[in-house]
Amino acid sequence: MTAEAFNEELYWSVIDILNGLLTGTIIGGYYAMISIGLAMTFGVMRLVNLAHGDFIIVGAYLAVVLLNFLPISPFFTLTIVIPIMFCLGYVLQRVLLNHVSVQAMERKGLSANYGLMAPILVTFGLGIFISHVLLGIFESDARQLKNSLAFSAIRLSEDLNISLLRFIFFGLGIVILILLHLYLTRTHAGRAIRAASDDAEVSPLMGINTAHVYGLALGISMAIAGAAGVMIGMIRTFQPFDGPQFLLIAFGTVIIGGLGSIVGSLVGGILLGITQVLAGTYFGPSAQLVGGYMLILFVLAFKPQGLFSK
Amino acid sequence: MSISEHKRGFFAEEGRGGKRPLLTVSELSAYYGELRALFDVEFQVMPGEVLAIIGANGAGKSTLLKSMVGMMNRGKTAHTTGSIDMRGRRLDQLTTEKIVDAGVTMVPEGRRLFPRLTVEENLLTGAYLPRCREASEDKLVEMLDMFPRFAERRTQIVSQMSGGEQQMVAVARALMSDPQVVLFDELSLGLAPAIVDDIYEKVQQINQAGVTCIVIEQDMKRALRVSNHVLVMLEGAIVLEGDPKDLNEDQVSSAYFGSEIGRASA
Ligand SMILES: Nc1ncnc2c1ncn2[C@@H]1O[C@H](COP(=O)(O)OP(=O)(O)OP(=O)(O)O)[C@@H](O)[C@H]1O
Ligand SMILES: [Mg+2]
Repeated sequence: MTAEAFNEELYWSVIDILNGLLTGTIIGGYYAMISIGLAMTFGVMRLVNLAHGDFIIVGAYLAVVLLNFLPISPFFTLTIVIPIMFCLGYVLQRVLLNHVSVQAMERKGLSANYGLMAPILVTFGLGIFISHVLLGIFESDARQLKNSLAFSAIRLSEDLNISLLRFIFFGLGIVILILLHLYLTRTHAGRAIRAASDDAEVSPLMGINTAHVYGLALGISMAIAGAAGVMIGMIRTFQPFDGPQFLLIAFGTVIIGGLGSIVGSLVGGILLGITQVLAGTYFGPSAQLVGGYMLILFVLAFKPQGLFSK
Repeated sequence: MSISEHKRGFFAEEGRGGKRPLLTVSELSAYYGELRALFDVEFQVMPGEVLAIIGANGAGKSTLLKSMVGMMNRGKTAHTTGSIDMRGRRLDQLTTEKIVDAGVTMVPEGRRLFPRLTVEENLLTGAYLPRCREASEDKLVEMLDMFPRFAERRTQIVSQMSGGEQQMVAVARALMSDPQVVLFDELSLGLAPAIVDDIYEKVQQINQAGVTCIVIEQDMKRALRVSNHVLVMLEGAIVLEGDPKDLNEDQVSSAYFGSEIGRASA
């Protein structure tokens, strides 16, 4: 091998790795957004929300509806989708999920196991219900939220560039995670959510109404899921039954990063993103998913509480 | 004279010492599912006093305090009958949040701090009620003044603190809601005597500031020393009550252990 050819090869392998790290990180930011809501509702009310992925898709379809009526950029739909999703989440928790929770089962004199199992079944059913409603309204055509930035890229060097949209979403994701962190640590309501997650039985002694606080938690979870849905809709096409694939990403991220920490979700998302991209680069596109699942399996085998849980 | 004071109707209008009671508990019974833990308990709480409740393990002391803050209203698993009246307001019909808003709170058995929150966050959570929020930062400063033991550790996660420090945080957290009545369930549980002395000094300080205190205390001597009025419980009922100055130790211990003398005199 000539020196030149060797240099060329070295250059490309460096580019491959840089590209993997960069794209993986960028993807990780949005994986974190996909998963943080799931982690939060599990952390606060032990809710394993199997409809989480479908909520993400609902966010994307809400943007479709808005764009039908309003001549705005898909970005601005966020300002409407986020509050709508928050309200849906709050109401859903209070009228449905609070009545099948661990606490509700205890009030009925049933074992806490019912309270763990019932919401899993209820959200499973809810997910199926949601996707069929979406199918009924929007049919199975693949949709996308059209936008002018879809094909723009940021060029870092001749052979290294990242999608502008993905980069914006990464930034937006970080902003949302920071806002969530501030909300949970600096506001009375945010501290109440964390308090109820630490000790639901004693929180009422602080004047905290746990039913309300759980409503806030699912509201926030769904608001962020909705925002993620809008972003996903701008990057790729989506269909009514796409929810479960995002649920899987969310579970993976949560398993890797550990529950109940915002930083954990971000790092978990980034690790999953990097692993997928590098696996794809070296072993072909079909290895992307396999690589991600291998990482999840490794974490489950060696550090089942997640890499970043305290 | 003191022994039959708890008998129904004796002080219907006027409480002990001619004062109007702050809390009147009547025919209070409590159930854990099928199990009955309180049997028609009746007593009054006078404003500004320290009321001590003593009794053997399982006598129903914690159940009584939990009933008073609405924590026994959990549907089928736990419920109460009877009434708890606070100056015309029926506390037994309110949720825990509303009772705390009305000015009655509890420092629960085993402290029950929020383990993943810092000292400061635990305290601020105590000021969650809308009526407390505006003054919460001032109140926080006041508490850090009052409890210098954890003042310089305000940003520490509470689960890393010693039991005594945690108990102090639990007391301070309860005070953050600006209560009129605080119920303390076994403040001394698992703590060294010197620290318990410290904590009871704080209770005295709180009481002098006008807060009515109800304490459950396993140490009979301490209970008699710190209180103006004592209730002795046995098997879910009050078997003796009175001013600690008027009660002799034999009387109290026979009531406590449920010996024949104790039963007969009640
Ligand atoms: N969560 C519960 N479920 C069922 N029974 C309970 C529960 N808590 C207490 N009990 C029962 O109620 C009765 C009174 O218990 P309680 O805790 O009020 O007693 P206590 O006087 O506080 O005792 P200790 O000194 O041990 O704290 C006991 O017979 C106890 O077994
Ligand atoms: Mg007890």
